Amino acid sequence: MQTLMKKVPELSILIGLSIVAYFVMGAFNQVEDAAGLTGDGAFVLVLASFVLSTMIAIIAVIAGVGGGVLFTPIMMAFTSIDTLIIRSTGLVVAMFSGLVSSGPFMRKGLADVKIVFYCAIPIILGGMLGSYAAIALSEVMGAQGDAIVRLLLGLILVFIAILFIVGGSNTEYPEVKKVSPFSAWVNLKGAYYEESLGQVVHYQSTRVGLGGLLFLLVGFTGGFFGLGGGWAVVPVLNLVMTTPLKVSAAGSGVLLAMGNSAAIWPYIKYGALIAALAAPWMLGQVIGGIMGAHILARVKANFIRYVLIVLLFLTSFKLIARGLETMLGIDIPVL
Amino acid sequence: MSQQSNNEEPRPEIPTSGVVYGDIIYWGTIASAIIAVIGQIISFLTPNSAISPSILLAKIWEGKKVDGIWAGSGMARPEGEHWYIAQLATGEGLTMFGIALGVFIVIPAILASAYTMFTREGRPFFGVLAIIAALITIASFMGLLPSPMTAG
Repeated sequence: MQTLMKKVPELSILIGLSIVAYFVMGAFNQVEDAAGLTGDGAFVLVLASFVLSTMIAIIAVIAGVGGGVLFTPIMMAFTSIDTLIIRSTGLVVAMFSGLVSSGPFMRKGLADVKIVFYCAIPIILGGMLGSYAAIALSEVMGAQGDAIVRLLLGLILVFIAILFIVGGSNTEYPEVKKVSPFSAWVNLKGAYYEESLGQVVHYQSTRVGLGGLLFLLVGFTGGFFGLGGGWAVVPVLNLVMTTPLKVSAAGSGVLLAMGNSAAIWPYIKYGALIAALAAPWMLGQVIGGIMGAHILARVKANFIRYVLIVLLFLTSFKLIARGLETMLGIDIPVL
Repeated sequence: MSQQSNNEEPRPEIPTSGVVYGDIIYWGTIASAIIAVIGQIISFLTPNSAISPSILLAKIWEGKKVDGIWAGSGMARPEGEHWYIAQLATGEGLTMFGIALGVFIVIPAILASAYTMFTREGRPFFGVLAIIAALITIASFMGLLPSPMTAG
């Protein structure tokens, strides 16, 4: 930890500031009591959110996904908070874990700026459309809309968990059999230094047309459900566009931040992003994201992946059950 | 064709456009996190704050819809504007400004990266893609696209 602090002095400043901030907020709390929540209760909620967010960020970074994949489903499954509020906060969670990783990935040359800007347009457009659709659905359908969102999100989580189980099919250095004329024209060629091999690895991305279409879908899903899209960006870059796994993972963090930035503004302007709830989650993502990125090399990522798979399945059952309960007016005793 | 590796080749040069983008984002995010923390401290140390965090949090956890959450908090629900700019003196407004800064920082980072692509790296195609990405994000930031939302 001390080495980490020396290596990343800004992390020490942020952690120090957070400790002082939460101490001062707790010790000199002036927040008045509200119906159902005392001023001290409000502080405990904020502190707990920050701690939980830091833990989620560390797990998410090690598992190679955005924090939104854990935050949004868990909050939707196990709390009564309005789904629009959860989704807007989920986008902040997903975005800030991507934001802090963008700098190191770009400086090391792992994220390919050409791939990033090619994929950015569909993912940004999709994300914006998704957030507009989420707000429209919430206004038009109310509780039924929330039930549909929970049910669909539950099904998507099952899909993501399966994707993680068969994730072994991700290829470190995918074989490129044929480069289509369009891919050759776009020319997403690059090279990076692979530390583990001690060699320069050259690559060329293919099927970039199909990849662009899939990114539109990934962006929409991320913006609509407030998940971010890290879980889907890596498979599209690696399996569809034949980009090396390391470049795909680094590009995923950068694209996540870029795509979500356009998706968040409609929520902010609608008043669906509430700072009192979102700020501790955002701060936890920044601190946990930096810590996770640096301890990644020293932990067994597979163990974290198993934890994530179990969490995703458990949460999906609860989400599907809650969605069906509201839609059909029945009671399903799950969890 | 396989992805090739070569152990005699020097390390590839890291594109300046990527470094410029990454640095602006990284330090912008840290600045936004610090502003958000200061905003939160102000929220919790201000007696009878103009926008009450406890009322907002209580209503959020009760499961109220967006309109219901803002009602009684000291401020009406925002209707399509950057409401926090006018509320920078309040903890809640400053905290929201910190978050919004982190979201906004992507725009200058993309534009600076595009500028580097045009002027230093000679990659006009990807520079144009970056400009398009920035314009879409600016359209979202300014609320230029027709919105599905209605007030009240």
